Amino acid sequence: MKDKRLKYKGLRMRRYLNVYKECIKVAFASASTYRLNFILNCTIMLLGDIIFPLITVLIYGSGAGFEGWSVYEVLLIQSIFTMSTAIADMTFHGVMWVTMDMVRNGNMEMVLILPIDTMFILMARTFSFEGIGLFIGGLTVFVVAIINVSVPSILMWIQFIAYFIIGVLVMMGIALVMAAISFKWVGNSRIPEIFSNIRNFGKYPQSIFPKAIVVITSIIIPVAMIAFYPAAALLGRGNSSMFIMIIPCFLFLLFGIYLYRHMVRLYQGVGG
Amino acid sequence: MKNNMGAIKKKLNILWAVAVVTYKEWSAYRTHSMVSILVGPIYFIVQYFIWTAAYGGKTQLNGMDLTQMITYFGASTLIGYLTMDFADWNLQMLIRTGRFLTFALRPIHHRFFAFSQKVGHRVLGLVFEFIPCYIIFTLLFKVSLVPTHIGWTILSVMLAFLMNFYIHYILGMTAFWFTQSTGIRRVFDLLSGVFSGVFIPLVFFPQALQKILFFLPFPYMSYVPVMVFTGDFALAGIQMDIPVIVGIQGLAVCITILISEVVYRASMRRFNGVGA
Repeated sequence: MKDKRLKYKGLRMRRYLNVYKECIKVAFASASTYRLNFILNCTIMLLGDIIFPLITVLIYGSGAGFEGWSVYEVLLIQSIFTMSTAIADMTFHGVMWVTMDMVRNGNMEMVLILPIDTMFILMARTFSFEGIGLFIGGLTVFVVAIINVSVPSILMWIQFIAYFIIGVLVMMGIALVMAAISFKWVGNSRIPEIFSNIRNFGKYPQSIFPKAIVVITSIIIPVAMIAFYPAAALLGRGNSSMFIMIIPCFLFLLFGIYLYRHMVRLYQGVGG
Repeated sequence: MKNNMGAIKKKLNILWAVAVVTYKEWSAYRTHSMVSILVGPIYFIVQYFIWTAAYGGKTQLNGMDLTQMITYFGASTLIGYLTMDFADWNLQMLIRTGRFLTFALRPIHHRFFAFSQKVGHRVLGLVFEFIPCYIIFTLLFKVSLVPTHIGWTILSVMLAFLMNFYIHYILGMTAFWFTQSTGIRRVFDLLSGVFSGVFIPLVFFPQALQKILFFLPFPYMSYVPVMVFTGDFALAGIQMDIPVIVGIQGLAVCITILISEVVYRASMRRFNGVGA
């Protein structure tokens, strides 16, 4: 009985992987069809990535700065944030836009009747290569920043990778919460703006914010884990309490998954 | 003369009708606008702490003190609500889906129709975004948001409104050539975000770049009205009187209108449609 269940799970997993592979192929074909648009989108993401840290450089260039943080340390935080966003854009950010669109147009049923998990298929279908430009840009700034700060130890790198992955999971939680809200606030394309602004708190050293905001960005909506904590680990500024911050991140992701699934269950459509 | 007056009256009637319909249409999505009550203040809080930390013990950065900087971002957010535009998105969608044909056959210029839509949409923005955020900024954050020259500020905001519309309409028309023009629009959105002074005042850029910016449309979309609001305009080390910079902004708008007309005529020569 147990063997059968395991076999079934294995087959299911393989089927899901095959579906994901097909979706990647479709995304590639789509990018090839609208080549100019694809190249421009990649370029814009790359440029956007260069311009955003440029603002930090301009602030430091004017003689100002964040106390206790060098320009390269701030750039490190922002480059990690960019890489995390790029991964999210490529893999799961589309779930929010497609859910919003389908709920508004009333064709969510077309997905609900498919013999596959709704959340998974929407994420797979919205896989996009356009985030590559953003990732390359983020990685470039990351390399420049890391060269100009003290060399991290292997333990710091391990901590960084762990926090970075958890930060991406927080991004996923945010995307799912946004998608879930779009079931209620139908057609509200400004939902991402709220979360984008909240995420902005994660792009800067947390020491510049008051404690009340740090509590929010570390525990309630843990955007600080997207870039600040991974960067702090890499810079050797981490401490044992940072490990505890992993818990609210996982809870936030679980909340996002639960909320999205709950809203899908509540969804009522006609026709299809 | 009588004919001209009649034509203007007819145009105003059309503008009113389309604006009212757009207002009512978007009023159905009230939360869409009311989200701004959260978006604006959250953005402002981030900027507030960033700049408070950045100033540290310094009194001035590039000629601006902290209070001016906070006012700058408050005014920038508020003016953004009044001038925001997505005519490019609408137009490229109409072109891509072939629905532009139905507009091409109507006895009304699509650009005027789109402009009327924008008027209705931004009046909604004024009610549901600008006024609530103005109250929040003033009462909660204690930011003084009273323009130094109210008349010039209104005129400059109106010119920025036109500038945003015509520039975005030109961008939308690129879809006649590329069909899918989201990439171009995103390039422009990014450039305008940076070079219109939304992210950082333009005086923080290198002097040479500031000089070039005078000849680009970006500063006239946000930086100029915001600086007119604060009552003190400076760019590339040049201090200008408010009427002078508003005059330059008006000239920039006129040039943009001409470019828009040229591109529109070229677009119409290229446009092909079947059915309808």
